[in-house]
Amino acid sequence: MRRNVSVWVLTLVIGTIVCVGEKSASAADEYDYDLVHSSVSFKSRHLGISWIHGRFNDVSGKFSLDREQPSKSTFKLTIKTDSVDTANKARDEHLRQPDYFDTKQFPTIEFKSTSTKVIKGGYEVTGDFTMHGTTQKITIVLMGGEEHDFKGIKRVAFSTELALKRSDYGFDKRAIGAIGDKALIIIDCEGVRK
Amino acid sequence: MPDPLLYVQAMVSAACVSALCLLAMVAKRRTAGEAWLNSACVPGIGLGLAVGYYVLSLHLAWPPANSLDRFLMIVLPVALGIELLAGFPCVPSWGAWCLRIGLAATMPRILLHSSVYLSGYDSDWPVWRTNAAMAVCAALLMGVWALLALLSKRSPGVSISFALCLTIQCAGLTVMMAGYIKGGAAALPLVATLMATTITARLIAKRSVAVANCCTLAIPGIGVVGLFGLLFIGCFFGRLSTGTALTMLLAPLLCWLTEIPLLRHRQPWQVGSFRLVLVAVPLAVVLGLAKRDFDRDMVPLLGMDLRPPSAITAQVGGTPSEIQPIALR
Repeated sequence: MRRNVSVWVLTLVIGTIVCVGEKSASAADEYDYDLVHSSVSFKSRHLGISWIHGRFNDVSGKFSLDREQPSKSTFKLTIKTDSVDTANKARDEHLRQPDYFDTKQFPTIEFKSTSTKVIKGGYEVTGDFTMHGTTQKITIVLMGGEEHDFKGIKRVAFSTELALKRSDYGFDKRAIGAIGDKALIIIDCEGVRK
Repeated sequence: MPDPLLYVQAMVSAACVSALCLLAMVAKRRTAGEAWLNSACVPGIGLGLAVGYYVLSLHLAWPPANSLDRFLMIVLPVALGIELLAGFPCVPSWGAWCLRIGLAATMPRILLHSSVYLSGYDSDWPVWRTNAAMAVCAALLMGVWALLALLSKRSPGVSISFALCLTIQCAGLTVMMAGYIKGGAAALPLVATLMATTITARLIAKRSVAVANCCTLAIPGIGVVGLFGLLFIGCFFGRLSTGTALTMLLAPLLCWLTEIPLLRHRQPWQVGSFRLVLVAVPLAVVLGLAKRDFDRDMVPLLGMDLRPPSAITAQVGGTPSEIQPIALR
């Protein structure tokens, strides 16, 4: 009899936990990165006199936006390094080499959020940014986040810019040569859900 | 960007440290036997490499992050350790060869660690293909290592080490021209320290009756491991073609051609010269092709497309006046 009561109590507790968990999970909206309407581009100084522009063509990601408890929102972005495109095939091939992105060793650049804070017009997201095998904690300001319904597909968009030094991520300064150490990354992305 | 002055500094310091280390060890012990000289070469090479890579400032990471880090911080020290052990008289020959086989078998796996080839990230490299490639590479390394060691025993001399140094130097230049500057630069202290150790060991051997016909297996052993590592990294992580890498790895085996009866009984300097010429021929061809490819690849990068405007128009479309030279790339 006592054993039966224990089993019932345990079931009740587990059931309650599961239900609460489901309720909190259902409050977050999951969005997939929309490659068609998004871009991850970058620019870097050349000889200190001009800028070289490029982009990554193969990007994926997921956003989970919790409107009720925004601090529980999460962001994840994965960039395939061998999709680098600077509108010059020879230079792109050079950038894939071990002196630069080392795409065979480090095939992706990743960002994974660890904490999110609501700010006016968007979110301030802190997370782990991994590039070239080195992970650094960075904070980015994502502007946007309002949902837009177009033909039954719900969309949300964010944009951000961040500056980083490639030498902080294990790139050899001397191999960088004429291209500046500092790079500016511009992310404009849309997430979609049905 | 390549820095020739820094390369020269790294090579000179590596060579000087290796030679001085070996001479210092000889000065401490006047009765040097063959096994002792063989073992004494290893600390000289190790110290020379450490100083050379320090001067070169290769920015190695610990724990090793990429294939070059693993090559310089795991593979080469292990090879040095094996050759040091092999030099001790108490270590049987079969024991030393077991260790060498162990290193040859694991080296491709160590160099490919956490890369797209093993993570399954690259669909062009399924598990079976990667495993097959690693097995073939290990077998090739072991084959070249064993054949050169056998030749060193059969017909000792500095020419085998010189041939290996020549090949490593060419491999470094080719890897650099294929777009991996740091990987190619790693060859330079290796060449300098092996050359310096070979020459110093030879001078010591000439002065000592006990080691007059000394055969230092350590130098070709470390040379083969170094050559294989550079070519493997250049091939799997850089843009070095498989054909080029194979040609360079097998080139030192041409030294075996001097074992034909026609050449075998000639003067040692003649045999040595033949060996170097035989090895230099395929290396010259490979270097020439690499230079041609390098020049071709650099034209669009430097904005120096010298083709007539009509040729560019035909390729990309538009009128010549619309097409500006590719600049600032």
